[in-house]
Amino acid sequence: MTNKWIIAAALSAALGLPAVAQEKVKLINVVELSGAGATAGTNWKNGIDLAVADINAKGGIMGRQIEITHYDTQTNPGNTRAAVQRAIDEGTYAVLGPVFSGPIGASMQIAQRAEIAQIVGGEAAGLTRQGNNYIFRTSLSQAAAMPKIANYLKNTVKAGSVAVVWVNNDFGKGGRDAIIPELEKAGIKVAADVSTEQGQADFAADAIKVKNSNADAVFVYLNEEESARFLTAAKQQGVTKPMVGETTLLGAKVISLAGAAANGVKGHVGLSIDAPIPAFQEFGKKFQAKYNYASDHNGLKGYMAVYMVKWATEKQKKFDKKGVADTLRGATITPADEPGILMETTIEANGDLDRVSFLAEVIDGKQVINATLPKIKP
Amino acid sequence: MTAPATRETLPQTRSLPLPGFIDGTLLTLLAGAVILWFAPVGMGRYGTYVLSLWLVTSIAVMGLNLTLGYAGLKSLAQAAFMGLGAYLTAILTTKYGVSWYVCFALSGLLTFAVGLVLGFPALRVKAHYLAFVTLAFSTLIWLIMRNEQWLTGGVFGISNINRPDFFGIKLFNALEFHRFVVVITFILAVVLWWMIRSPWGRAFTALRENPIRAASLGVDTRLYTLLAFAIGSAYAGFAGALYAPLVEFIDPSPFSLSQSFFLLLMVVAGGSGYLLGPFIGALLGVVLPEWLRFAGSLYLIIFAAIVMLLLIACPQGMSGLMERAYAKLTGKGAGR
Repeated sequence: MTNKWIIAAALSAALGLPAVAQEKVKLINVVELSGAGATAGTNWKNGIDLAVADINAKGGIMGRQIEITHYDTQTNPGNTRAAVQRAIDEGTYAVLGPVFSGPIGASMQIAQRAEIAQIVGGEAAGLTRQGNNYIFRTSLSQAAAMPKIANYLKNTVKAGSVAVVWVNNDFGKGGRDAIIPELEKAGIKVAADVSTEQGQADFAADAIKVKNSNADAVFVYLNEEESARFLTAAKQQGVTKPMVGETTLLGAKVISLAGAAANGVKGHVGLSIDAPIPAFQEFGKKFQAKYNYASDHNGLKGYMAVYMVKWATEKQKKFDKKGVADTLRGATITPADEPGILMETTIEANGDLDRVSFLAEVIDGKQVINATLPKIKP
Repeated sequence: MTAPATRETLPQTRSLPLPGFIDGTLLTLLAGAVILWFAPVGMGRYGTYVLSLWLVTSIAVMGLNLTLGYAGLKSLAQAAFMGLGAYLTAILTTKYGVSWYVCFALSGLLTFAVGLVLGFPALRVKAHYLAFVTLAFSTLIWLIMRNEQWLTGGVFGISNINRPDFFGIKLFNALEFHRFVVVITFILAVVLWWMIRSPWGRAFTALRENPIRAASLGVDTRLYTLLAFAIGSAYAGFAGALYAPLVEFIDPSPFSLSQSFFLLLMVVAGGSGYLLGPFIGALLGVVLPEWLRFAGSLYLIIFAAIVMLLLIACPQGMSGLMERAYAKLTGKGAGR
């Protein structure tokens, strides 16, 4: 019996020891692998793993293999802070993640203090407005995306009034606070302002509220599972007005969960494996082959995050942690320089991104891109 | 760590050649404080942060242990009380520049007062009904924290919460702040230790064991029920006042109902009714998941399995287990 315990203890100790990491680039990803952010976080993590496998297969970054570690945040700010601190203590070259904006807000000062680049998946507008020079996005911020949506609702959907359905967390509230002034600016009336809960299961009441508002279109801004549930409930309640969304609503995860209820959904998409860019589609195929499901935008974001680190390192020609942030700030990365970035990306001084985006529609359970929108500052 | 808390009058503690007021629990607390003062040296900021988080959580669990373990009141609002303290501290220090020490005291006072008001229903309703009252309160506080954006920052939370000074010493660093937390935790633990040994503590226990008998012996059950609940809540307020500058960011999620359940789990798993139980419970709840991170994506499953096995094997929690082991080793009376 005692022997068994000793073996068990030795095994667990061996598992706990980090692999010998000579001449390797240590990257730590701190992300939501449990709790409310698990869907987004898992996609992000898989995208990162895919990029790391690709880079390592091609000889690594400047001859060094990447060693990737993932830490779960439980979608909790206190735990995120601990995990980011741990990543920095363990000498991560850059911090990847998290994806949810609240946990990012709780941990971004630590990376800033350590002068280490933190490449995140968050979209809340406020993150890049705090004068932090070490935070970098992997997608457009809500402040950049919402004017495009308002424009789309006015000119393409030709809506005079819109019902806004949002999830009451930092993501949804941030989006709601960004879209309403844009709608007003575009002369569109907000017919209903419907707040829903994170993790909410039954959206029948919200769908009825939307139906009764008699709006010309519905803007849906929820996380993945909730988006699918809302679409299903709206279909059951006979809401026939156009459903318009931003990236998440047209994501692969939502389409697979909502099934037929997702058909006809349209809107603006920052990143999509169905975008008319061969590199995106190729990524989509690789992801599908490895994980056996279609990646959403978070998978693409995670993939690009690793390539941002690779590009900055090769650009500065050395492994300097602070230099990664300095090099990324204000840079424009093109697929000609670094194919892994997939599309031309300009990183603004505050960490926001500027790049082309797409207008899309779900037809027969597939996302179809209708138009490509140019960069804000071409 | 085997010293049973409420059993300070057990014969073995008397046999030690120490002044009458010192017992094993106090010695353990003192030794623990000394060890924790030096423990983080060379541990890095992450290890230090986790230790601090453990202690801060322990304070909240200590309070709940008083409410549940000694007075037998089931409260599901401990995280909400912690949130009250954390938000009060964060708002006053960041928006109005009030000293942290004042905020710390106010957090305790506010949660004590709210505990008194909320405790009134406890006089009429007990057991499940009190649990429901506190459940409603917990939800209410959470909704205020989330929806009143003008005051609490809503879902975006409050960031850049400053850490206090200690007589001119900046506690900006993880190590210094950790030592500050150690001192405060020690003081609060000793106060509770004293309280439990005092006639108050015996009245609390009497209340839990047999309220009718306690009343017949002249214990003012109404007063003591209220006090137990209010003091327990004040400890959560103190914990919140430390949590805000420790994490330097707060949003409503760490103060939700599920966190109250988690704190309750820590009381039970640590051993409710034992003074050192909260430290063991918080160790299980805060530090164990961090230790288990080597197991990768399985770590939460392993954590849950350990807690379930523990509670099946020993319903009295870790402290109860240790007490049984101690009794077996020494051949002395087996606790309960």
